[in-house]
Amino acid sequence: MTLDRVVWSMLQEALAVYRDSPRATGWLRSHIERYTEPVRVAVAGRARIGKSTVVNALIGDEFVPLNSFVWYRGGTEARAHVFSGPGRPHEVAVGRRGSRNHVEIGQFDRADRVVVEWPARTLRDIVLIDTPSEATPEQVLGEADALLYLMRHVQDDDLKFLQAANDHPIARVANVHTVAVLARADEIGAGRIDALSSAKQIARRYRRDVAVQPLCQNVVSVAGLLAVAAKTLREDEFTALRTLASLGREELEDHLLSADRFVGEQFPLSMEPAVRQALLERFGIFGVRLITALIRQGFDTQVKLTGQLVQRSGLGELRDSIAIHFTERREVLKARSALLALDVLFRMEPRQNARKLMADLERVVASAHDFRELRLVAALQGGRTKLPADLQTEALRLIGAEGTTSLARLGFDYEADPHEQREALLDALVRWQAQAADVHAPNDQRRAAEVVVRTCEGLLPQLY
Amino acid sequence: MAPPWLDVLDETIGACVTHRRPDLEARLREKRAQQLDPKLRVLVVGESKQGKSQLVNALLNAPVCAVGDDITTTVPTFVQHADTPSAALVRNASARGSIFHTPTERIAVPIEQVTKQATAQSQHVVRAEIGIPRALLDSGLVLIDTPGVGDTRSAHTASTFATLMQADAVLLVSDATGELTAAEMTLLKKVMEACPNVTVVVTKIDLVPSWRNVVERNKALLARAGVPAKLIPVSSALRLRAAKTGDQRLNTESGFPELLACVQRDIVASADLLARRAVAVVASSALTQLVTPLREELTAHDSSRTVATISTLQEAQRRVDELRRRSARWQNVLNDEMADLISDVEYDLRDRTRKILREVDKTYDEADPAIGWDKFEQWLEDNLNEAATTNFAWLMERAEWVAAKVAKNFPVYREDLIPGSVLPDDLLEPVSKLEKPKIEPFSISQKLFTGLRGSYGGVLMFGLVTSLAGMPLINVISLGAGALFGGKSILDESDQRLKRRQAAAKAAAQRHVDDFFVKFSKDVRDSARHIQRSLRNHFSTLAEELQETLLESARSAKRAVQDDQTERERRLREGRKELDKLVTLYKRVQQLGGPAMELTA
Repeated sequence: MTLDRVVWSMLQEALAVYRDSPRATGWLRSHIERYTEPVRVAVAGRARIGKSTVVNALIGDEFVPLNSFVWYRGGTEARAHVFSGPGRPHEVAVGRRGSRNHVEIGQFDRADRVVVEWPARTLRDIVLIDTPSEATPEQVLGEADALLYLMRHVQDDDLKFLQAANDHPIARVANVHTVAVLARADEIGAGRIDALSSAKQIARRYRRDVAVQPLCQNVVSVAGLLAVAAKTLREDEFTALRTLASLGREELEDHLLSADRFVGEQFPLSMEPAVRQALLERFGIFGVRLITALIRQGFDTQVKLTGQLVQRSGLGELRDSIAIHFTERREVLKARSALLALDVLFRMEPRQNARKLMADLERVVASAHDFRELRLVAALQGGRTKLPADLQTEALRLIGAEGTTSLARLGFDYEADPHEQREALLDALVRWQAQAADVHAPNDQRRAAEVVVRTCEGLLPQLY
Repeated sequence: MAPPWLDVLDETIGACVTHRRPDLEARLREKRAQQLDPKLRVLVVGESKQGKSQLVNALLNAPVCAVGDDITTTVPTFVQHADTPSAALVRNASARGSIFHTPTERIAVPIEQVTKQATAQSQHVVRAEIGIPRALLDSGLVLIDTPGVGDTRSAHTASTFATLMQADAVLLVSDATGELTAAEMTLLKKVMEACPNVTVVVTKIDLVPSWRNVVERNKALLARAGVPAKLIPVSSALRLRAAKTGDQRLNTESGFPELLACVQRDIVASADLLARRAVAVVASSALTQLVTPLREELTAHDSSRTVATISTLQEAQRRVDELRRRSARWQNVLNDEMADLISDVEYDLRDRTRKILREVDKTYDEADPAIGWDKFEQWLEDNLNEAATTNFAWLMERAEWVAAKVAKNFPVYREDLIPGSVLPDDLLEPVSKLEKPKIEPFSISQKLFTGLRGSYGGVLMFGLVTSLAGMPLINVISLGAGALFGGKSILDESDQRLKRRQAAAKAAAQRHVDDFFVKFSKDVRDSARHIQRSLRNHFSTLAEELQETLLESARSAKRAVQDDQTERERRLREGRKELDKLVTLYKRVQQLGGPAMELTA
């Protein structure tokens, strides 16, 4: 049975065992519902780090930030509900304020959770949760399957948060759910024009940092304001920016020295201060600097400019990271959340007749092949286990580091028919069996090979 | 005439001596020496990447401190007046402990290379000193640029706090991209404890359109926390630009004139007030610590419930015994775990290097080292590096685990039981370069010679045979055979040379890996020992503190029990007198600080 099915049946079984406890039933039902949903990704970080901005950039629409947990999920039309205290949620209107969408929660002074349904492509595969900055790690991770953690430079507080995220026996064996984001990449180096490439280098350094590496799967840098700008750049803004770019470079630079100067009275162009103020608020001083420079370099249509901005802001990389680490791993992430939930239940309400389930839980965590694969991926990538170079690449591919479909695992870049795939698979299986039985190889290599063999054997029935 | 604060401070030191508190005495003496020093130290602190170094540069209008996008400043940098620009790194062989009293050596370096060199040898350098001719620094002002607080490499933070003890005034730097964070407020409060003259500088206001709001919110935050600190917004970028172009208006816009005025007025001009305030804070904190136990003892005497005191005594003694009995346990755990760790880590390293060597052997069974040696060298370096990094990372992980385990076996629980960080400074040093093996190329002339030598036999052999058939010694057949023989000997020779080269390459790689292993395993052992030592120190300090507290309470309980009535009354009188004295002194100390300071007893 696949992990997916095992966990599903465990949830159902638990529901039967705990049917007389309303609290446990409620808890289990919410988790059964959650199990079928897209992956929930929480966006967390310190205050004013740009959580809402990153969420906006991912959705591709601007929302006025609210000071509570805001869930964005896919839907056919724009709707919003407010959960406040016990009782049924209230539907509220989603209106527009200027260029931004606004959820009218005016009458609720304290909302536990606001759920916004929004038609956006990104939201088909994930549910985004924007968290308030004062939320504790438990609050953030209680509802989320995966975590985007925003920070500027890695500081002790950030590490503490991430450590808290991984501080549970089950979380530790399936440590798969964090991507760290160096947000506000545009503010690095005091907004110099090459700030973004600097930020990318810093992200690369953190990826290899001893303290950071075990806590997250990837580190990417994102310039939030630019990313939002790329997705929501309007015609009038583009015209204004192009007018700015037509100014001499030296002259413009003088007026872009500081935010105050840019909106000040003595501006060589006849452009309303309000317009300049709006540009500044939307793009930041760095954004204006970069966009005018880009226009001058020849990215002078809106389409070209948008493409450049998506790439430079790091939004593309962030999306890829989400796809590889979260969306494709949906099954494991969901299973992990469900197992954590079961563990909590068994601790809170231990029962005689739940003994079997508790044993099952332990067995699944220790032996579920998906988790073993993940641990091996982590060990290979982190260098704790080392295979010869070509074997390592193949092993990583087979155990699903590059994608979990059979095509991706077998390394086909075209639609190979089952027969062809089977041939390739059998070939790999035989080789890895030999590797697993190789008495000269060190112990950890043999064990790694055993995991790969098990993966191959698991793939085999799919291809008949 | 000695200033009034000096008398008060001396009296407080005297009180510390009478009450047998050498720790407080030492702290006060350090403060006294520092206050008598005519230099005024202004410390620039803040979290990393807030623009501290740039602020120092902009204050002085000179690029004295390096600035960069990633973490740049790694040691405290002291910028002071000098007639000619100069720079030096202050090294300390032991590199630990107080900066002040250990013997140090100074190494002069070019001014533009200070940061680079300091970073390169950061484990030995305790501070960098830069001297430049500036009117601002003329009056004995020393600006101290510090590494960011809260950075993951905690060695930096530690050195910042070490410097904090010597500061007369502090500029706390926070950039305008966000208001003061909780961590910054904590830092601010911590700074206020050691040095009450804090000015908050909000930097990078050129970047942020809404910096005025940020400043307002920061002011509100400070007011709510009850922190009497000034707040000045500045932009270093504008100031540096203004200095370059000589634009006076831009300079005003940068906010620096106000900051400079503040530095001149509040810090330089009011040195005496600063000294008084600083002394008031340290002395009153010391006095509070003296008064508290005294007061407790008095109350214990007052309530002459002997039964209660006896049970307190028994309880205290029981706890002391318990502590002694159990302190052996954590020590054993620490020793065992560290021994395991060292052997495991070393085995892991050996295993990794052996694997690399096996790979090398396999490669050079086939390949020719004459081709692609550079690439091989790079590969070997990369692999060794990777092995080293992984091994080291593993060591760190295990070390923290050990710390947690020891903490679990520690007799009592405390908040600060697990040390913040056990990581030593980076100990990895480069190993000597891989030496290239002697590769003898098989040159054309050598080939010709070998060929000729081989062909000689062939020509002669077949020439003799064919000469029996009446042909001349040199004929077509013998020449052909000669060519064949020649070719074969060339092949053989080049084969042999290849073997020799491969052997040489393998030997060179082996030597290099051995060197690496010896060097790195030493490093790793050193690190492990360093970790062990720091853990042991940490825990034994905790244990000692605990024991001292328990013993003290046991002692006082004992005294309370043993003393007879008259003795008790005498003590009571003495205690009261002593307490009165301390309270009077405390009042004087408070007057020193002036009305601006609010100190609670």
